[in-house]
This record gives sequence, structure tokens and C-alpha cells, in this order.
Amino acid sequence: MSSAAEKAFEELKETVGRVTVDNPKMQAKNVDVFYGDKQAIFDVTCDIGKNEVIAMIGPSGCGKSTFLRCMNRMNDTIPSCRVGGDILLEGDSLYSSSVDPVMLRARVGMVFQKPNPFAKSIYDNVAYGPRIHGLANNRAELDDIVESSLQRAGLFDEVKDRLNAPGTSLSGGQQQRLCIARTIAVNPEVILMDEPCSALDPIATARIEELIDELRENYAIAIVTHSMQQAARVSQRTAYFHLGKLVEVGETKTIFTNPTHELTENYITGRFG
Amino acid sequence: MSNNTTEKVRASLQKRYFKEKVFRSIGVVAIVASLSFLVVLLGSIIYKGYPAFKASYIQLDVTLTEETLDVSADAEDSELRRANYLGAIRTALRERFPEVTKRGDKRNLYRLISSGAEYALSDFMMEDRSRFGQTHSLWLLADDEADALLKRNKDLTKPIRTGENAKNKDALITRLNTDQLGWLQSFKEAGETDVRLASTFFTNGDSREAEQAGIRAALIGSAYTLLITFVLSFPIAVAAAIYLEEFAPQNKFTDIVEVNINNLAAVPSIVFGLLGLAVFINYLQLPRSAPVVGGIVLSLMTLPTIIISSRAALKAVPPSIREAARGLGASPVQVVTHHVLPLAMPGILTGTIIGLAQALGETAPLLMIGMVAFIVDIPNSVTDPATVLPVQVFLWADAPERAFTERTSGAILVLLAFLVVMNLTAVLLRKKFERRW
Ligand SMILES: Nc1ncnc2c1ncn2[C@@H]1O[C@H](COP(=O)(O)OP(=O)(O)O)[C@@H](O)[C@H]1O
Ligand SMILES: [Mg+2]
Repeated sequence: MSSAAEKAFEELKETVGRVTVDNPKMQAKNVDVFYGDKQAIFDVTCDIGKNEVIAMIGPSGCGKSTFLRCMNRMNDTIPSCRVGGDILLEGDSLYSSSVDPVMLRARVGMVFQKPNPFAKSIYDNVAYGPRIHGLANNRAELDDIVESSLQRAGLFDEVKDRLNAPGTSLSGGQQQRLCIARTIAVNPEVILMDEPCSALDPIATARIEELIDELRENYAIAIVTHSMQQAARVSQRTAYFHLGKLVEVGETKTIFTNPTHELTENYITGRFG
Repeated sequence: MSNNTTEKVRASLQKRYFKEKVFRSIGVVAIVASLSFLVVLLGSIIYKGYPAFKASYIQLDVTLTEETLDVSADAEDSELRRANYLGAIRTALRERFPEVTKRGDKRNLYRLISSGAEYALSDFMMEDRSRFGQTHSLWLLADDEADALLKRNKDLTKPIRTGENAKNKDALITRLNTDQLGWLQSFKEAGETDVRLASTFFTNGDSREAEQAGIRAALIGSAYTLLITFVLSFPIAVAAAIYLEEFAPQNKFTDIVEVNINNLAAVPSIVFGLLGLAVFINYLQLPRSAPVVGGIVLSLMTLPTIIISSRAALKAVPPSIREAARGLGASPVQVVTHHVLPLAMPGILTGTIIGLAQALGETAPLLMIGMVAFIVDIPNSVTDPATVLPVQVFLWADAPERAFTERTSGAILVLLAFLVVMNLTAVLLRKKFERRW
């Protein structure tokens, strides 16, 4: 980082661009996150709209995953982690004492960087969420949920003859689509994706990107990505993080063609040329 | 320049290959050495122990009448059971060798048949009362000295190795005298001796008479003790491991618990025996010599082993699996029971079997709680007095009779077989639980 950019970062008081949207699904308000004494997120305010895909980009270690994991309270399990500020889902605080994190994670699903299917059959992988939440009343309903989830994840045709094969017998790209199917089987309202394609080849990546675009019809999606092309392809809005601060948020097109903040511009041009 | 590099690499290559060769041969030597130790050890135990699984029988025509048994034909069952069967056997022996008249010689003659034969005869009688009043040709268990010569098929006409021919390698080593050898030879020539599988070794408890001593009491005692050990230690240890690994906060308290569990694993086993004696027997008044106390004491010893290996198995489950389940809304307990535990099960089972195998071979703490008693009766419950296989080995190894030596090795073989069966079960269970991920 040049000294000029450093200065710009020091001077950064407020996020550049419009952080709110007209019909928000989730709203993060002045979120601070600490790991022990070390602060990883500084005063981030940002909305996620209904039926939109928001991409979160930024250099490694800037806190994208940390921020994403606050939105379904996955950070609760890290003992040293403390979250300040507030995050609302449909206007209700996630961190109020009346909210059960188990309930919350049924509403806000998550897809991880590395495909992590359970050591169970393909069918059971998808059926697991509906089973624990009691979403199906009988076997036929469960079959329907599994089939439609696999279908929406674009995996059904490839696995319909071997639903009883272990989930781990699939290729990396298929495993990630299985994980997406598993997430949407619970029918969440929001899907958080943490670099879902970083372990996949370009063809598998393209399939998942198509899928994300289709899923937008029904869900709000936040996706962390290292690839700016990917952010440009799948998202409507983009948020740029830098060292724990949210530097700039805006329409994806604007961010990539005409960024306002110097840091955003450095990052984007640095990658593209 | 590049030529130079090639030269240097080539020169160093030879050195590297030489080192590799040396390293490999050290490994091979180590394996061969340990294998040959094992072969020698097992070989000597099997060689010494296999006669324990054979027993010699002598055929006699035994008359079961009022005269020989000292009881009338219409006697009560209980009376008939306690009739003079020893007398009947002795009469049969005297009839077989009418030339033996002197009292001392007669006594020597009687010694060829095991003193347990009278009970076998009593059982034979009680099986069918119509056998009363008839003469039966019966196979009776030979006494241990006669048994030792018969089952090794020794030439009974050779001299005995004593006094003047102490250096004669060919002579027989036995406590029988020349007369007894002659009678035995006469049985043998008439085809009235037989060597069979020693069912008594597996059906009897301990006995002062070597030929009647069996390992059943110890085997059942070991099984009961291990059952108690397993039932107590497995659930407690697995629960403790799960709590420490998956739920406990990281603080001073859990650190102290962890250090203490590791220390517990290093405590000499006899200390657990003393604890068992002081707490379970003297204070809680649990029965002495019983598998239930043995099991409790051994589970104290086994707990740390299972806890430590279970924690290692739980740690080895990738965190991504936990995250995936949590991300779908599984509660912490569901995460553990649905995903983590099934994946950790093979490792947990391995640790459990290692712990139980240790417990199976443990002697010292059991001596402290009185499981060293001379147990003839087969224990019927976990509160009956019992002994266990390693203690039985210890007891027999201490007995002066030569026939107990082979029984010692025989009992070790049974102990090893028990271990093999346990390990086999573990392997099968592992196979069943193992999943790919
Ligand atoms: N479990 C944790 N404990 C302590 N520090 C952490 C933990 N996870 C992440 N961090 C720190 O928080 C910062 C943000 O990390 P992360 O959110 O993973 O970044 P990104 O996903 O943008 O690469 C980093 O400096 C990282 O070292
Ligand atoms: Mg990350």
C-alpha cells in the first residue's frame, strides 16, 4: 500500500456510497467484531436487500468471512469472539436474548468455502436439515423436498440414479452443489456464501454462478469472493472491505467501472491490470 | 556449470543411496528381531501348553452293586449320590490286578486313577438309575503323573531317572514307581488307555488335583469383570471425552481436569487395588473377591485410556463437518450425536479395546481386592467369588506339581485367545462403523 493510500485509509471515517437499500432483508448496524483484544471489524453498517446478491470483496484477512459469519451467528462458537453493534433480520435483532441461534440458522443458511458434505448418502445430506427441523410430515414429502432441492441446485440429473451413494463420492463441484442443495432444502430466507467457488474448476464455477443467479428470485444472497469477475457476473451490489473497515458499497457496475474511493480503485485496478 | 552440478549430484547420490540402504536394513533387522522374539515366546508357550488341552483316560470294568457301593437299590437319590463310588473304583482296580495284595501296593495302584473319577462315576450313576446292579466298562480320568506319561506317549518300560541313572537322558522323569509303571504298561498293552481332548480343562474350576483343574471359573470371572469394566468405563469415558472436547469452556478448571486425567493414566495399577480395598470393600461393604469390585477397580484404570483416545478421535473429525451441521441449524447435541460421534466411533472403539485388553491382563489390583482366592465353583453372577485368567496363571505358576506347568501355559493360551477374539470384535465393529468422507 502506498503512503497516500495509507493516509486515505487513516482518514476513512464513513463508508463511501449508499449502505442502505429500500427494502432490506438484513441490516448490519455499526458492527464491531473482536477476537480477544484484536478488533477484526470496525463499525460496519450495510444492508442486504431482498432478492439481491451482494458481493463482498477485499484483500485476504480484511474480515469478509468474519462479517459474513456474524449474520447467522456462526461466530458464537468461537469463544474469544465478541460482536458489538446490531444486526437485524426483517427488523428483528439477531443478538437479542429471545433469538435462538439454532432457529436463526434455519432462516439464514450458509455455504462454506470448502465443500463439506456429511459422511452420509446424497439423499441423507439433503434430507438432514428438513429432518431435524421437522419440515416433512412423511417420507413422500421428504422425497419431494430432496428432489426439488437437488433440482434447483442443478444436481438432480447427475445423481438421481445414486441417491444412496455417499456424498463424498461426488466431484468437488458436485459436492459444492450438494451443499447448496442441502442449504436450500431448509428453505432459508437468506443464503450466505463464503468463497463457494474457490476450490472449483472454471466449469463447475460457471454452473454455480448460474445457480446463484437463479436463486436470487427467492432468496437474499451475500457472497464473499476473491474473483472480481465473479462479483461482476453474479452480484447487483458490491461491498469493498479493507483491514476490517467497509470502504465502499455501491452498484456493482459503478464499483467496477467508476469507484469513488482511492482504496477501492487501487484494489480493482491492481487486479485487472 | 551445469556439468559441475551433475557431477556433484552424482557423487552425493551414492552417499544418499548408501544411507537409505543402511536405514532400511536397520528397519528390517528390527522387524526380524521382534518377530523372532514373538515366535520363540509363542512357540514355547504353545509347546508347553498344548498338553493341557489333552487328558488321559483308563478303562475299567466297574461294578455298581449294593456290595461295592454300600447302598441299597431303593435308596433315595441324595443317598445314592453320596454312595461309596471310590470303593467301587478301588474294587475294580483290585479285580483288574488280583496279584496286588500288600496294603502299600494297593494304595499305589489306586493312585493311577484321578480322585475326581468318583464324582464322574456318581454323575454316571445318577444319569440313569437302572445302571445299578450291573458292571459297566468305563473310561476314568487318569491321575496327573500317569496322565503326563500317557499323553506324551512315553515308553513305560524304560528305567526311571533317579539316583544311580541320574545322568541317563533316556530315562523317564516321573514320581511313579516301577510297579505303577508296570500296571500302566499293562493297561496300555490291553488298549485300555486313551488320550482325548480335555473337556474338563474348559468345564472345571480350579482344583488341588492338577488333572481336574480347569479354567472355566477364571474365564467366566474374567468375562464378568470385563463386562462390568466395559459397562462402567465406556459410557463414562465417552461422555467425559465429548464434554471436554465439544462443550467444555477452555479455562483453568478444564486444564486441571485434563492434566489429572493424563496423570491418572500413569498411576501404578496396584494403587487402584488399594483404593478398591479401602473404599469399595472396607467402606462400602461390597463383596470381597467379586467381579463387581474387580470391574469397578479396573474401570478406574481404564477410564483415562478411553478418555484420552476418544478425545483424540473426536479431535480428528474435521471441523468443517461441525460447521456444516451447525450452519443448517443443528443444535450442539445434534451436531455431536448425528455427525461427530459416528465419525469418531472407530477411534473410540479402538481405544476402548486397548483399555479393556489392558484390564484383561491386569493382576496386581485384583490381588488387593481378594480375587486371588482358590475358586472351585463357577461364578454365577458378578457378586460371586471369582478369579480371573491372569490371576489363575499366577496361582498355577506357583503350584509345585509338574502338571500345573502345562496348565499355566494352557491358561496363557486361553488368555491370548480371549484377547484375539476381543481384537477381532473390535476390527469387525470398526469395519461396520467406518465411513468414507
Ligand atoms: N478464530 C479466529 N480467532 C482469532 N482471529 C481470527 C479468527 N478468525 C479470523 N481472525 C482474524 O480476523 C481477521 C479477519 O479474518 P477473516 O474474516 O477470515 O478474513 P477474510 O475472510 O477476509 O480473509 C484476520 O486478521 C484474522 O487473522
Ligand atoms: Mg475468508
